[in-house]
Amino acid sequence: MKKLLSLCLVLLGLGGGSLLAQNARVTGKVTDQDNAALPGVSILISGTSQGTVTDGEGNYVIQAPGSGTLVFSFIGYESQTVEIGNRSVIDIKLAQGSRSLDELVVVGYGTQKKTDVTGALSVVSTREFSQQPVTRLDQVLQGRAAGVQVTQSNGAPGGDSKVRVRGANSVLGNNDPLYVIDGFVGANYNLLNPNDIESLQVLKDAASTSIYGSRGANGVIIITTKKGSKGIKVSYEGQGSVSNVIKKFDILPAGEFAEIVNARAAATGSNAPFTQAQIDDFKKNGGTDWQDLVYRKGSGQQHQVTVSGGNEKTSFLISGNYVNQKGIVNNSGFKRYVLRTNLRTQINKNLALRLNLSGAKTANHNTDGGGALIEALQWAPTTPAYGSDGQPTFADPIGSVSRSPLDHLYDKSIDTERMNINAIGGLTYQLPINGLSLDLQYAINYLDAQNKNFNGKRLSNNNPNATRYSADQVTLQNTNALNYTRTFGNHSITAVAVLETQQFTDKNFTATANGLRFPQLGYDNIGGNSAATVSSGFSKWTLLSLLGRVNYAFKDKYLVTAAIRRDGSSKFSEDNRNSIFPSVALGWRLSEEEFIKNLNVFSNLKLRGSWGKTGSQAINPYATLSPYNSTQVGFNNTGVTAGVIQGNQGNKNLKWETTTQTDVGIEMEILNGRLHFEADYFNKSTTDLLLNVQLPNYAGGGTQPRNVGEIRNRGFEFAIGGTPIEKGKFSWETNLNFSTLKNEVVSLGGLPRLGTGTGAGGGMSITNEFMLMPGQPLGSYWGLKYLGTFKPDEADIAAKQGRVPGDPHYEDVNGDNAITTDDFQIVGHAFPKLTGGWNNTFTYGGLTLNVFFQGAFDVDKLNYTRAGAMSGSGEARQFLLTEIRDYYREGNTDSDIPAFTKTYQPFTQSSRFVENGSFVRLKNVSLAYNVPSSVFRDKANIRIFASATNLFTITKYSGPDPETSNVGSSTDTAIGIDRGSYPNAKVYTVGLTLGF
Amino acid sequence: MKKLTILLLSGLLLTGAGCSDYLDEDTTGLLYGPNVLSTQDGLESALTGAYKGLANQWTYGFLHPSANAAVLGADDVTTHPASNKADWREFDQFNVSTTNQRSNAVYNGCYKAIQGANNVINNYQKTVGTKATIDIIVGEAHFIRAFSYYWLTRFWGNIPLIMAGEYSDDLLTVKKSTPQEVYDLIVADLKVAETNLPNAKRDPGRPNKGSAKAFLADVYLTMAGWPLKQTDKYDLAAAKAKEVIDNAATYGFELLPTFAAVFENDPASPGTKEAVFQISGYLGGSGTANATYGNTTMPGEEGGWDDMFAELNFFRDFPAGPRKDATFRTEFGLGATKIPWQNSLTKHPYYQKWYIKGNIVTSSISLPSVMMRYPHVLTIYAEAKARGTGGPDQAAYDALNKVRLRGRAAGTKALTPGDGLTAAQFADEVVQERAWEFACERTRWFDLVRLEKVEEANAKKSTDDLQPIKPIVKANYWFPLPYTDTSINPNLNQ
Repeated sequence: MKKLLSLCLVLLGLGGGSLLAQNARVTGKVTDQDNAALPGVSILISGTSQGTVTDGEGNYVIQAPGSGTLVFSFIGYESQTVEIGNRSVIDIKLAQGSRSLDELVVVGYGTQKKTDVTGALSVVSTREFSQQPVTRLDQVLQGRAAGVQVTQSNGAPGGDSKVRVRGANSVLGNNDPLYVIDGFVGANYNLLNPNDIESLQVLKDAASTSIYGSRGANGVIIITTKKGSKGIKVSYEGQGSVSNVIKKFDILPAGEFAEIVNARAAATGSNAPFTQAQIDDFKKNGGTDWQDLVYRKGSGQQHQVTVSGGNEKTSFLISGNYVNQKGIVNNSGFKRYVLRTNLRTQINKNLALRLNLSGAKTANHNTDGGGALIEALQWAPTTPAYGSDGQPTFADPIGSVSRSPLDHLYDKSIDTERMNINAIGGLTYQLPINGLSLDLQYAINYLDAQNKNFNGKRLSNNNPNATRYSADQVTLQNTNALNYTRTFGNHSITAVAVLETQQFTDKNFTATANGLRFPQLGYDNIGGNSAATVSSGFSKWTLLSLLGRVNYAFKDKYLVTAAIRRDGSSKFSEDNRNSIFPSVALGWRLSEEEFIKNLNVFSNLKLRGSWGKTGSQAINPYATLSPYNSTQVGFNNTGVTAGVIQGNQGNKNLKWETTTQTDVGIEMEILNGRLHFEADYFNKSTTDLLLNVQLPNYAGGGTQPRNVGEIRNRGFEFAIGGTPIEKGKFSWETNLNFSTLKNEVVSLGGLPRLGTGTGAGGGMSITNEFMLMPGQPLGSYWGLKYLGTFKPDEADIAAKQGRVPGDPHYEDVNGDNAITTDDFQIVGHAFPKLTGGWNNTFTYGGLTLNVFFQGAFDVDKLNYTRAGAMSGSGEARQFLLTEIRDYYREGNTDSDIPAFTKTYQPFTQSSRFVENGSFVRLKNVSLAYNVPSSVFRDKANIRIFASATNLFTITKYSGPDPETSNVGSSTDTAIGIDRGSYPNAKVYTVGLTLGF
Repeated sequence: MKKLTILLLSGLLLTGAGCSDYLDEDTTGLLYGPNVLSTQDGLESALTGAYKGLANQWTYGFLHPSANAAVLGADDVTTHPASNKADWREFDQFNVSTTNQRSNAVYNGCYKAIQGANNVINNYQKTVGTKATIDIIVGEAHFIRAFSYYWLTRFWGNIPLIMAGEYSDDLLTVKKSTPQEVYDLIVADLKVAETNLPNAKRDPGRPNKGSAKAFLADVYLTMAGWPLKQTDKYDLAAAKAKEVIDNAATYGFELLPTFAAVFENDPASPGTKEAVFQISGYLGGSGTANATYGNTTMPGEEGGWDDMFAELNFFRDFPAGPRKDATFRTEFGLGATKIPWQNSLTKHPYYQKWYIKGNIVTSSISLPSVMMRYPHVLTIYAEAKARGTGGPDQAAYDALNKVRLRGRAAGTKALTPGDGLTAAQFADEVVQERAWEFACERTRWFDLVRLEKVEEANAKKSTDDLQPIKPIVKANYWFPLPYTDTSINPNLNQ
């Protein structure tokens, strides 16, 4: 072996350095003073940046020189420094008390001591969310990290969440942060089992994210999954839950509704649809409560089994997770299966291998909300749910022109299935130079996507149809890293150099069959049809990156980090292909200075600042080209002919969107760690903003991506935490974080404004719902300002517009006596300006109570669900909500709810339906009891818990849920529209954890 | 071990870095660039794409009641006074907004069709294929472009005149063209179409030579009236219409024996021989079904949407006969119980014309949007001849009588020169006959506009129908250009 090593040295032409100290394997268990296992404890080999963390049972394995020293550290505990002294097993008890200063955090392509970190990052400890029943990563992140904004925009089980780190930079692109799981860049968090998370870091400033270059602009969330350790551990966790809708709309009882419909008919010169006898009957027997038919009591279960273990050289962890949830909207649900195996083995003292394998399958069934939730507020309560034939009523003669909520629930299926296989294999090799190691990693990610949609005969106007979409997407990643760590006297250096390639290929088929002859077969056999469209697609992109980073610390006081990444992307034409993303950060640990030490106040005090650039490839492949789309035309009554039609326009001059970010921050700890405080100010500016610029319809319409404009995000982030009470068996630990965000469109490349729409407003909007305007934030609502109704003394103003008192009065901005889009203005903003979370854990012996609040403030929502039920426009012909009782009429002219007239012109796209969307929510309250292990002679641990999610919400918003929106989570130009969005539910969970 | 190290290091160097083409874009499967139209199949596919502009249900074009709404300013059709019909009322009340989704669907569709047609017209010379077929393709493209511009200039007047099939930044600042410039292109296009197109339609939903000539006749008739008022075009209109009438059999056009047969609306039939040009609908495709039948013209009592129904005085004055019976629905109810229209919710008769055979309640059906019927050609001849040189001849009387006698009660006398009508009176008689014949067929509005009778016709409305919100002025003859485009190109506001 020695001979081989010498050969290598010669080969490399490098020598002189002392050979690596002989590493030995050290294992052990870390517990608190009550012998409870401590997961997530950092263990660092003193004087290096190498280390590990304990697993879920507090066990660890590390390769360290027998003469070395290990530093054990964990938030809320005193850190301990232990000399190895050639021992192979070292068990440690940590004392609660001061926060650790030597805790290790994972940064991109490496780890660092938290105290040495110069960038802004948030660590979410598994301890923080272990008290809340979570099935997905977004639930873990929500409210727990300053500067990270999570909105559960679709409340359906398995529904979409919007995660934003320090606001939104891109108009065109996806603003989701970059997820890195075990080094695989661009992972899908939906397919991760949160129980597998060992550590979770959110990188926020450019010094931290520029190492991810062209994909770092939206922040990076780094996740490391758990590993096994010596001995065999088995654990089981089971949960069951029930859920209910948080709130429903107040709808008129049928009899009263009929009277109001008659009153409107009388006022506008039509005959009365309802006779007095019918009204009396409705009053006596009631009508149809469509919301009751749509909602139900949901339920769910989750099971988790983990088996882990290992010997001196090899460790494994196998975990299986099963989630099955039935949503609060009938006929909707979500299932997930995840299986993970993490293996690692030390081949010899220099070479370690690892393999992480994960397979996940998700299945969403009808989790889109929409149809049924909209129609439940548009179908008349006077219309019976079922006809005499036992079928759902086909058409509503009074309310909506669309199909019944029941048909929207049961005459369609939207099934989305994802199967993901992720394999990451790697090796670490200690090169024969002190402190230099090589890490090679290959990752394959295979995603099989199946979308299966079916619309039955009733919903489709006798054209039952089904679509099958099938895609296979493969991502290949290769990461080759050289790491170097050395300490010379007062100087310590950590450096990394990486070559990384990534390639993504998508191959897909879509088949749409219309006029299904056997609709009972749904989407599973679409051969029998009257016309079918078949298409296939292929797309591919590649990314080739070189990157490096150097951390330098002098006397552990003065810290410098510099990083650079060069990314080349196939998405751009040759001239714009490569870009460089640099960053630099400085830190000053004041608490190491004598004059601060002498104050005897701060256990840690650090100032830091950073500057850097990151990018966003906010475009799809082929955006530089202008492809044709397929289409079809019926030239007769028996079939279709396929053709091609011009699609969106490409742009050869596209280039990267670049975000430059400056950050200054302060970290401090006082009272020996009992109270800690962290604050940051950031200023992000995104230039060469990519926009899909709308082209005039006379030129064929569509859009063209262009680099124009600039967006700025600025804000403060605060995290305050501590242990205010710690007396005997009782303790109270609290963490509060909040962040402000000021988002502003600085310029649009000379355009005065640019509209962006969603289609979410189907039938409710007459133009784009959102307007980008310099000086205004993203997500600014565009509409008319509603001034109430025309009052009797305003009859002459009304007459000039051809209206009468009682008609809606909109602000006539240009004074031309006509209400048009020229009178539109910004009537609200959809981004919360302040968000926060407050997490409290009360412990008394084995009892733990967790109380977690979360909130968003200074935000508006456009409530189109309410507009549908209150405007008599689009599909809706009548007014359904109880608020219509107050409509303007003789003797009630103070009302701002419009009168029943022939000149009534509703604009739903107005401030009338913009509502305050601020809220505070008790996100979680849970009580858990750890049965003392002595009960089972230390052979088993049992924990039982009960919890409630979304127990109460304080908000002025009139819809069921201020959080949800039916605009997809990836866009930020159009957010906050609620048009039948699937609301979050109140969830009650009980669970049990067993460990052996 | 050494080998391993070497392997690792060389692997490190080779991966990615060695491949200079690693970043080249792979366009496998992408249809783009100028070669697409170089084959006959490519050209034909592009032509099909051009038709899509006219036929994209609920998106743009004529397969859903958008053009029907936009002509509500005439005296034959009105809409619900409340319900969800604000955008329909804008036309009936002469208060059309720049964001009206109905008229904008016509605008967007016509320009989408023009883009596709331009692409064919500008590139067919490079296409390799059978000349005879390519000629037909080119003829259809010219027809589609003319048809689209004809709708555009009649609704919006001064409009951007786009001849490019490909996007360029110059298009963002284009200025409006006058109706004269637009009509020059329409006439030129239809002349190419009448040369290139075959006598027989390739499919029911395509034009033939006769379709091109008939539209050219209609275009001349319109050019003779407001706004161009080139009265010399009446003679051209009459001559072109006569060509169609004289060769009706060649083009496969005929006047069906009964009016009711024209509106049988049987989705199993590809259409009738009265269709000079139709946009076909097919239920089974993506966005290819037709929504201008069924729900849209049915009353709430029958599961309809009350979008459009008859104006009261128009119905009152409509001459009795088989045409009136087949045009209107005066009793509602799909079962045994019938409600007379006077007792219905909206208190108006509805248009039976657009009921689907078997009274199926739906908004998607395999029926065509007929954009011109053969009697239209007959009446073009009759009116144009009367207003042109020499006044109405016997052929003009014959043409009018064919339409008139089919529609009116048995025993109605034919009009003859001996009735003593002046040429102008005869022409007015034709225009009135067209109102009855083409009620709710997107015709009356254009007749009122070109003859400047919009104000007069609206003055005669029943007070129980929706009234103009303000006095009608000439500016109301055209709609304001859509906000989507004026907000991008400020030159359109000049």
